[in-house]
This record gives sequence, C-alpha cells and structure tokens, in this order.
Amino acid sequence: MGKVIVITSGKGGVGKTTATANIGTALAKLDKKVVVVDADIGLRNLDVVLGLENRIVYDIVDVVEGVCKLRQALIKDKKHPGLHLLPAAQTKDKNAIALKQMKGLIDELKERFDYVVIDCPAGIEQGFKNAIVGADEAIVVSTPEISAVRDADRIIGLLEASEISDPKLIINRLRYDMVKRGDMMNTEDMIDILAIDLIGVVPDDENIVISTNRGEPVVNQEQSFAGTSFRNIARRINGEEVPFEEFKIENGLVDRLKSFFKINSN
Amino acid sequence: MTNQSLIEFKGTKDGLVIKVKENQDFQNIKSALIAHFEKAGSFFKGANLLDIECPYINEEERLALKTIVMEKYDLNFKEVTEDFKPEIFQGLKEGMTKFHSGTLRSGQVLSYEGNLVVFGDVNPGAVVKAYGNIIVLGSLRGIAHAGANGNLDAIVSAHVLNPTQLRIGDIIARSPDEKLPDSVNPEVAKVKNQSVYVESNYNKGKKKGEK
Repeated sequence: MGKVIVITSGKGGVGKTTATANIGTALAKLDKKVVVVDADIGLRNLDVVLGLENRIVYDIVDVVEGVCKLRQALIKDKKHPGLHLLPAAQTKDKNAIALKQMKGLIDELKERFDYVVIDCPAGIEQGFKNAIVGADEAIVVSTPEISAVRDADRIIGLLEASEISDPKLIINRLRYDMVKRGDMMNTEDMIDILAIDLIGVVPDDENIVISTNRGEPVVNQEQSFAGTSFRNIARRINGEEVPFEEFKIENGLVDRLKSFFKINSN
Repeated sequence: MTNQSLIEFKGTKDGLVIKVKENQDFQNIKSALIAHFEKAGSFFKGANLLDIECPYINEEERLALKTIVMEKYDLNFKEVTEDFKPEIFQGLKEGMTKFHSGTLRSGQVLSYEGNLVVFGDVNPGAVVKAYGNIIVLGSLRGIAHAGANGNLDAIVSAHVLNPTQLRIGDIIARSPDEKLPDSVNPEVAKVKNQSVYVESNYNKGKKKGEK
C-alpha cells in the first residue's frame, strides 16, 4: 500500500508543479515506484515540465469516464522506469471529475505504487478538493512572500479541516543574499506564522527555468542547488534523516570580488 | 431546495437528452429532475428519451433516474444501438469541408465530420480532429487527428508542421524528443506501412507516376 502525498499551495506560481515533478523524479531515483498525478484539469502543466506532453493519448478524465483503462493512461518517464505520469485533461474543466471518482482512482493507484504524488491546482475550489480527497499527507509550497504565506496559511487550515493533519512546508525560491540583507522573509519568519514542520528549503536557481523549458526535472543535475534540495526532500519523505543543507552563499563573481576587496582594504 | 439550472434538456433529431451540468449529489440531481418534470406538466409525455448525461453519478443511479422519468412521466427510452456505425469518410479528394478562421489555443477542440481547413495556428494543447484531411494554413503545434473515423488515406498538412502528436486513423505518432528545426516549406504527413511519415509538400515532380 503506497503513500499519497498532495503538493499544494493555494497561490499560483509558487512552484507546485516544479516541486511535484522533481520530488516524483527524485523518489523514482531512490528506486521507488512513483506516479505523479496532474490534478490541474484544464490547465495542465506537469506533462510539459516532465517533457512527456507528446506521449499523452488518454488522461485522467478518460479514466474516470471509463473511456480507457487506468493502465493505458499512465505514461512512463523517459529516463526513470519507476516513474509514471497520469496526465490531466486539457479540454475539460475541474468539474469533470467528482470527489467520489477521484477517491476511487487514487485508491487504485495506491495499490500499485509506493508513492502517489498529486499536483494540486491553485485555488480552493473543486480542483483543490479533488486533489486532496485521497491524500494521506500534504506538502505545502510557499515562496517567501507575504501573499504566498497568507494563502499557504489558508490552505493549511483547509487541510486540517479535511483531516489531513501535519502538513509539511517547502520554502521555495529563497534567495539567501536577500535574506541576509533583510529584504526577504527568512525561514524562521515563515515557520513562525505557519507553525508547521519544514521539509525543505529550495533556493532560487536559474537552472529551474532552464530545466523546465527543456522538460527535464532539475534533480537530474547533480550540481544544481535546487536539484540537491529536492533530492534531499525526497529522501526525507522516504523516511531518511537528512540534515538541512547549508548552501554557503555562493555569491556571484561580483560579491566574491567585493569580499576580496574588503579583505584587502582591512 | 432544488436548483433548476442544474438540469438542461436538449432536443436532438433522435430524441431528448437530459444533461446534468453541475456536480451535485444524487439526491439533489434527482429532486431537480423531478421538479423540472413537474413544472413541465404533460409536455414531455410520450417523448423519446435518448440518454441522461451526467458524469457524476454511477450506472445504478443513472438507471434509477431513467426509471423515474419513464414510469412517472411516460417517456419512452430509446437505446442507442451499438450497431449504428458511421461510415468511414470517403470524401478526401472531394467532399464536405469546413473552413475555420482563427487560431486554436490550448484546450480548444475543433472537430468536423469531413475535411478541415484552419486559417490560423493550432497551438500546443489544442486539438483538431477531422474524418478527412486536415490542412492548417499556419503553424500546427498541437494535436491533429485526421481520418478520425478510420480513413488511413487522410493527410495532415501545415505551413509549419510541428505537432505535439499526429494521429491518422488509429495510428498515433508523437513528435521527437529532441527539438528539430522548423521546416521552411509546408509539409504533409501521411500513413505508409502503418506509420506516419512527414515529407515536404513540394518535391513531388519525380513521383508523378505514383498515385
């Protein structure tokens, strides 16, 4: 019996889909059988981020409507044999699936996979309700912005009301240099407000943009900071104790020159 | 408390289709349906019922609704027989054609029971589907399904043929994972030996002898 994890945030654009793709891939790298489910019907993205868009023939709505079998709709990843995608429909909307149908589907997936990772749509309407209905655990993604934190707080409340207790927090797109200058909320501020456990901090990393556009998750790049963070998050999900990574602020060349001159001027 | 806008009646040439538009629980759907019939009085008496369209209920509940409608309000239920198979579209060289102007964007679906000509682009996430040929006077980047009811001689052609997926009849081809440079000339895709081939629209001179 697998574990169902929903990745949610409330606010759009904070990195739910990127997180889902990377955590799913990283779990598959740990030799787990993983299915990532795109619950964002009508605005699907997960297939594009994973580079699997051109393989979609059937989607989640076809499965619940009985047009095809579940097996036919699952798309195998290009690189990781353990990773599968259940794509969303693009030509339907969020009301195309009822709660009962979604629950049944997730329960079926749970039987076959070690991890079912669900990419939740933004918002708190039907799509959100569908995405969390079968979930055992939740991961809330937030960026260090007041609006994202506000929405994350609302989501945590809704998750608790749906009896998905103890959600975990991913702080995405943190810029250590800005935090250091005091221009960005830091990790402690956010945990202070949200009062949930942190499962990972992902630094702002331009590799994410590059890898997203290529359709290849950043966890495949060994040296990327964001990739390392996501790999560690996956290990934590998998029950390992992994210390939180300290990315020494690898300042750009400018900063390094600055510090160089600072030392010299002293 | 019933929600009247929940139910929609659609008349087709074969009979009546009842559409449930929102996701509600079965009791709400049932009472809304009954309210509708009560209001209509004997208007629907003797009408042919084709189907109750509602993705939110299971077969058992659908059957219960049908029984209510038929017994209480005197409708005839007309089973859509499976042996009604539309004939494979044959008008590839000369036949029904729809001309559509405008770009098709992600999530939009355009389908036609004949040949289809699109003046505009077909973006990724959009689907064009035709029983016959598909011609796109623009860039085809979404999904195109020609010969959708079985004619494998159908073709797909576009100024820039760069689709996510090409389907002709029951054959599916996907774009290569590596990015290819866009072709400068219009291209055409057709089925040969059960796979989809793409070639330029132009170098036809030598092949005149072929059909």
